[in-house]
Amino acid sequence: MIAIRGMGWINKEEYICVRQNMPVSYKDFTSFDGLSRTDIFSYTFKNFGRLDEVSKLVCYAVALALKDAGEAYDSNRKKDMGLIGTNADGSLQADIDYFRDYIDSGRKLSRGNLFLYTLPSSPLGEAAIHFGLQGPVFYMSSGQTSLLPVVRAASEMLMLGETQAVLAGMNTEDQAAYIVLVKEPALGQQVLCDVSEALPVIEKGGSLREMAEEFLLIKKGKHPK
Amino acid sequence: MRVVAVSSEMLTPYGLGTDACRDNLFAGQTAISKLNRFDTSAFQSNYAATIEGLKYHQKDSLVMQMLTALFGKSAPIPADADLIVATTKGEIDLLEKKILQGQKHMFENSQAAFLEKVALLAGVNTKGTLISAACSSSAVGIARAAAMIRSGRSDCVLVVACDSVTEFVYSGFSSLMALEKISAMPFDKNRSGLSLGEAAAFVLLMSEQRAGKEKREPLGEVLGWGLSDDANHMTGPSRQSEGLIMAIGKALSSARASESEVGFISAHGTGTVYNDAMEMRAFNSVFKDKKIPVYSIKGGIGHTMGAAGLVEMIIALKVLREGKIPPTVNLKEADTEAEGWVSTEYRLIQKNSVALMTNAGFGGINSALALA
Repeated sequence: MIAIRGMGWINKEEYICVRQNMPVSYKDFTSFDGLSRTDIFSYTFKNFGRLDEVSKLVCYAVALALKDAGEAYDSNRKKDMGLIGTNADGSLQADIDYFRDYIDSGRKLSRGNLFLYTLPSSPLGEAAIHFGLQGPVFYMSSGQTSLLPVVRAASEMLMLGETQAVLAGMNTEDQAAYIVLVKEPALGQQVLCDVSEALPVIEKGGSLREMAEEFLLIKKGKHPK
Repeated sequence: MRVVAVSSEMLTPYGLGTDACRDNLFAGQTAISKLNRFDTSAFQSNYAATIEGLKYHQKDSLVMQMLTALFGKSAPIPADADLIVATTKGEIDLLEKKILQGQKHMFENSQAAFLEKVALLAGVNTKGTLISAACSSSAVGIARAAAMIRSGRSDCVLVVACDSVTEFVYSGFSSLMALEKISAMPFDKNRSGLSLGEAAAFVLLMSEQRAGKEKREPLGEVLGWGLSDDANHMTGPSRQSEGLIMAIGKALSSARASESEVGFISAHGTGTVYNDAMEMRAFNSVFKDKKIPVYSIKGGIGHTMGAAGLVEMIIALKVLREGKIPPTVNLKEADTEAEGWVSTEYRLIQKNSVALMTNAGFGGINSALALA
């Protein structure tokens, strides 16, 4: 059995730890960047301000997912947990930002800190460092905005024993969601739902927020199926 | 479920074909030369390994030109094959062109369009999946393909890998001070950086059952794989090498092979001071006093980024079949920690050896494959 232990979702106005059903509307008390201080991360995110927007979204969603799953993390005590991310356009915005900046310099000066984010896997690399994730880390895309490929790959990795747990998720321009998947959760460990129950919801599509709500209905045994 | 490679091909700066690559590596020839594709006067270097005849900023991207040449002469791919495309920057030259032309509207869904073009060219019916894991992209793609077969989700997966030398990528590596001035010298005591290269390659993986049913002669087997992350630094490898050590351990465990069965290592060997030292620390830690023959092909064809792992896997499978490993091109004097592991000469390997292949990339991504 592959189980979803927790899910975190965030957009530019609110966020939620789905299993714990704790939605927070933050736009009235802090900014998107301001969340980095104490609200979401369990310790200071070093140099958070230098991350690109996609990396910030991904790191927020990963932090929420880990919190929802009850997974403590520490960059000094690394764990064998994987991280797979997807989106529709890879690093398109970072690519544009980097190359326009380079062209604006008269094609003389290129900035390494912009170039760094022109890899679609870079936001995942940033998250791996902060959360101490030492399992497999990669970006994959089927060219569509869907959680399906990453959840399938994560399940396969767990079934084949490639790693002990996997964070799988996606982002769009203004929101991100990540889920924590484990193989056979320990006795008494709370889970959101089984992957076999979640897959039909993911296959159906719909918004990430709606998906989160459906997972919660499954947990409560109230999903219409 | 055993995973076998039944068909493969590559286009490298040496030209079309695995034999062309093998022959030049054994001859100690480098394909790294002066770069004329764009102005390099502002950069750390003006050398790279490029493929002759490609047209920059034309209708088709560099990688599509490469893939057209690659699939043009290859045997047909089964239409029902699943498709994995591994790349770091794919058709980035198309975006460069648009920005240089001052176009405001940048295309969306470029990844979907790219996947569609590759599927059409390869003649497969699937939509495909793109994998990007920095310079481990190919190895991760191969691992995912093998996992699909081992888990029973697929019995035939085509893995395609490609990346090209563009102003975008070249300027970026130069800004990170990662380039060797002239030609990369992996594991040499005087190495100081990598040389960029470009390549396209494919491998068709099948379950042993399907390969048998179709009477295909296996080129080799993907025995196991291991993926890990340093979780340490975005551009620099771990000073303790624990990420790569973990990946190697996982690969051998997945292959159900022991360290003593490893006959040689196809290393990432970029030629940067830190990468090569990190790899040697990992090899020393895993294999202790037993110095396994190690080589890198990046002094020959440069660092082909997302394509590197697939080109290296195809060469490693050839090495396994032919029984001798190539010299490390451009190596003059091995660095202290690499002494006795790398060589300027070709070496023979024992029969029935397991090959270990390692790659690493930005974001701390490590990969190891065990091949037979």
